[in-house]
Amino acid sequence: MASSVVKNALKAIRERGLGNFFRELKEEGYLNCLSDGNLLQTKIHNIGAKLVGVDKVGNRYYEKLDIQYGRHRWVEYAEKGRYNASQVPAEWHGWLHYITDNTGDELLMLKPKRYGIEHKENFSGEGEELIYHSKGHALNPGQRNWTRYQPWEPTKA
Amino acid sequence: MLARLAANRLLEIRQLFRQPLSSRSFSTALNYHLDSPDNNPDLQWEFSDVNKEKAKEILSHYPSNYKQSAVIPLLDLAQQQHGGWLPVSAMNAVAKVIEVAPIRVYEVATFYSMFNRSKVGKYHLLVCGTTPCMIRGSREIEDALLKHLGVKRNEVTKDGLFSVGEMECMGCCVNAPMITVADYSNGSEGYTYNYYEDVTPKRVVEIVETLRRGEKLPPGTQNPQRIRCGPEGGNTTLLSEPKPPPCRDLDAC
Amino acid sequence: MGLGMLASRVMRPTASKLPRNLLSHFHIRPIVSTPESSAAQAQPEPEPTPPPRAPVAGARVHFKNPDDAIEVFVDGYPVKIPKGMTVLQACEVAGVDIPRFCYHSRLSIAGNCRMCLVEVEKSPKPVASCAMPALPGMKIKTDTPVAKKAREGVMEFLLMNHPLDCPICDQGGECDLQDQSMAFGSDRGRFTEMKRSVVDKNLGPLVKTVMTRCIQCTRCVRFATEVAGVQDLGMLGRGSGEEIGTYVEKLMTSELSGNVIDICPVGALTSKPFAFKARNWELKGTETIDVTDAVGSNIRIDSRGPEVLRILPRLNEDINEEWISDKTRFFYDGLKRQRLNDPMIRGADGRFKAVSWRDALAVVAEVAHQTKPEEIVGIAGQLSDAESMMALKDFLNKMGSNNVWCEGNGVNTDADLRSGYLMNSGIAGLEKADVFLLVGTQPRVEAAMVNARIQKTVRATQAKVGYIGPAADFNYDHQHLGIGPQTLIEIAEGRHPFCSALLNAKNPAIIVGAGLFERKDKDAIFSAVETISKYAKVVRPDWNGFNVLLLNAAQAAALDLGLVPESGKSIESAKFVYLMGADDVNMEKVPVDAFVVYQGHHGDRGVYRANVILPAAAFSEKEGTYENTEGCVQQTLPAVPTVGDARDDWKIIRALSEVAGVRLPYDSLGAIRSRIKTVAPNLVHMDEREPATFSASLKPDFSHKMSLTAFGSTIENFYMTDSITRASKIMAQCSALLLKK
Repeated sequence: MASSVVKNALKAIRERGLGNFFRELKEEGYLNCLSDGNLLQTKIHNIGAKLVGVDKVGNRYYEKLDIQYGRHRWVEYAEKGRYNASQVPAEWHGWLHYITDNTGDELLMLKPKRYGIEHKENFSGEGEELIYHSKGHALNPGQRNWTRYQPWEPTKA
Repeated sequence: MLARLAANRLLEIRQLFRQPLSSRSFSTALNYHLDSPDNNPDLQWEFSDVNKEKAKEILSHYPSNYKQSAVIPLLDLAQQQHGGWLPVSAMNAVAKVIEVAPIRVYEVATFYSMFNRSKVGKYHLLVCGTTPCMIRGSREIEDALLKHLGVKRNEVTKDGLFSVGEMECMGCCVNAPMITVADYSNGSEGYTYNYYEDVTPKRVVEIVETLRRGEKLPPGTQNPQRIRCGPEGGNTTLLSEPKPPPCRDLDAC
Repeated sequence: MGLGMLASRVMRPTASKLPRNLLSHFHIRPIVSTPESSAAQAQPEPEPTPPPRAPVAGARVHFKNPDDAIEVFVDGYPVKIPKGMTVLQACEVAGVDIPRFCYHSRLSIAGNCRMCLVEVEKSPKPVASCAMPALPGMKIKTDTPVAKKAREGVMEFLLMNHPLDCPICDQGGECDLQDQSMAFGSDRGRFTEMKRSVVDKNLGPLVKTVMTRCIQCTRCVRFATEVAGVQDLGMLGRGSGEEIGTYVEKLMTSELSGNVIDICPVGALTSKPFAFKARNWELKGTETIDVTDAVGSNIRIDSRGPEVLRILPRLNEDINEEWISDKTRFFYDGLKRQRLNDPMIRGADGRFKAVSWRDALAVVAEVAHQTKPEEIVGIAGQLSDAESMMALKDFLNKMGSNNVWCEGNGVNTDADLRSGYLMNSGIAGLEKADVFLLVGTQPRVEAAMVNARIQKTVRATQAKVGYIGPAADFNYDHQHLGIGPQTLIEIAEGRHPFCSALLNAKNPAIIVGAGLFERKDKDAIFSAVETISKYAKVVRPDWNGFNVLLLNAAQAAALDLGLVPESGKSIESAKFVYLMGADDVNMEKVPVDAFVVYQGHHGDRGVYRANVILPAAAFSEKEGTYENTEGCVQQTLPAVPTVGDARDDWKIIRALSEVAGVRLPYDSLGAIRSRIKTVAPNLVHMDEREPATFSASLKPDFSHKMSLTAFGSTIENFYMTDSITRASKIMAQCSALLLKK
């Protein structure tokens, strides 16, 4: 297995040149693997796994059926540096957590058109302006007007 | 994909329920009134002069402070006068006669299925649909009628002559199946309400055609072998004189 | 019926037996645990006579005749009840709450829901307790397996065709069916067919119908027929096709139609303006009174945060029983519209500018000081409470003017004798009357609850009603005697056929409309009425049938406090007019150069002529004393906070007096009430009806000086009578329908 990895890498260098190869390495997060064991493990897991789908932010969802049940689905986040579980959109959540066998692309069809809102990751600790505030929250910039009466307007005379 | 699945399932469920719903029936019309050109409260309706006398006669049966008791006979009279059905203005007229609020009359008229609140034919054919008649084939009879006349239930034929409705038990179970012909062609004077018993799908069609020709035909059993509700071909039991009860000596008393 | 009460009922058989023995022993013995006493306790008590339980909801037993008392046994408890009570009422007296849907104590008995089945000894089948008269010695069992099974079966039938839409139903949380199915129903049903569905009916802008939820209890039909007096609703069809409706397209044209929302045990009839606004457990209830008319109906304002979300009636047997008029129930959205929230001053360009309280009060005080005292006029509006009227009167008196009155009180009305302007028989007392003479009043629009009483009396006892006034709608049998004073004179002189009815009556009642206060010939009219009451013996020691039906909530208190104009001309010569919520004053009479201060809560008619606007609190936002037309003093309580910068009326006047340098000597409601006590002591006896002490001063001088102009109708539009109702959108919809009709 390891030899095939080296072989593939050499093949890629030969095909695309060293500069391109390193840029790809960086973009795909292989360089982060040096400091991030999680990512390294994911990358190693990915070898030979089936890519089930890619969501709209670029998270890749893998499945490998011949490993232990309950660990056979995982995600490689598009964000290589600061990834967290809230980056998984709602439609993929069920698949990833073995709630359903329907992939996120299939579940996207069921998303209600009228009131289904876009998934947003949890930005807690990333700055007040990024955090979701409910419509009545004091920090919500588009805060609702809570005046419950309509004042008399002295229009004319 | 799931959406499609769900939609399919819904269709299946609907299919399942479609069958019983269409054969379910209530009385002749809706329990609320919809204005139409021939049935709205603005139309004038009054008892004819002859019927006014009759209405007076009917009212005289009841104490003067219980005029509302006359609601059913008066509604019946109004229905006969109006060709077999009661427009809302007729009910209002009845309410005025018996001095109650119109709604009290509507309540009665909607309660009894014998009061038709939508148009019926001059001959209103009522098929008994209660259990004994149903077992003896009332469904086939109704189907035959509907097919022959080319209408649905409670619908009037194009010439305005016939309509078919369903009726609950009319107490003729011994001669089941039976139909009733309410004849409104001659107004309230010549109004008849006749039972035709022991009918068959073939016989009801003949009855309809006879009525269409305007001929009279004898009511009662349509089975030539029967006399009234006696058994076919004459009595088979109880032919001798009834015996006295064995338990006591009649001579002794 | 609360869920908790029901739950405790269900658990009672086990719960109630245990502590009873313990309790009875606690009374008689000190609690010392000696071997002897515990042995004595272990012995079975000879003939245990259980203590009577408290009757349900304070049900009172009233024995008209002591001989009529019979004894029945409810679950083994002996109960004494008067003859003629039903089994259900007997159970209520015994403290057992029977589940019911169709039974309502104020309506006739229908007996069609079958929920109240109980077991009666020697009866082969369960008995519908609401329709079964209790017989002497009857042994009623409400807790036996038979009764429980019967209820469970009935509940299963009721739920058969009831949709399971509680989550989207406005009745959810206060639904009788919900509560009782929790307490008495089974946890599963056996019905697998399709449920029926019923077309919704349009009953107008107030009542929303979801007829599929209806369980055919016919409470609404009986209410409409018996209480509202309009026979519009009926039960149509039969069997599973049965439905409540009007048959023809027809709106419910009653001023009490909102009450069907309360009596409907399910969510079939709900409030249209309240639809999908809130759940009942989110609401805060404030027990207060209504100010839209002079009846002072007891209401509960349900609010959430700063918003009034709905108004419900409170039980008060003497005033409104448990009904309220549609105006009372639905005008609350007017409290949220057209509100004055900032003090404003009209600038030189004729436009209003919001200013601070300090500036506004300074301007008013300055102008008031520059005006001659006799040119100062103060008018209290029809929604004013007694405290603020007292403050206004005191303030203007200190400024040197006595031109202070309440609108609608006429000129120089005799305010000395309370019997001259109160409903002396009381609203509940009207039920004793057997002949009514309505003079220039249409109770149906002026005081719907009084009208409901008259309707009830007419329905129960066939009392005669004679009416003098313009042609009007009545919902009971009446004789229209005439349109004006001519008829009144005829009756006073005994020439009219109606006189014999008055003379033969046991308890005749004369109701005079307060609209007559505004007539110039009111003294002549009142003396004519007094002549009638004299010869028909309307005023006797045991019966006082001389009634004045007032129009406004403030009127009775204003007359008590003496807020009556001394002359009709003072407003024409006024230079400084202080309007305290007064919108129905004829503004054209006010001179052009007069300085007008409008203190009120709504931008209604008054503000357009005002120079300074002082925002005040509405009745739902303040504590204030009101006296109703029968002289019952009640108070409002604040349900919601005031809007914007508004203040209580009396506080504004108190602050103004300080700025003007004539400081009023009270700083709190308590202090102002002790001031009121010196003027009208009856106004501080809260929730008490203080009858007039002297009966009407039967002035014998009958004069013919009446002008013969016919009586006018005082209220043209029932739904729009004051500044709050005029601001209400719901009331606007209702009156649009009224005009179309």
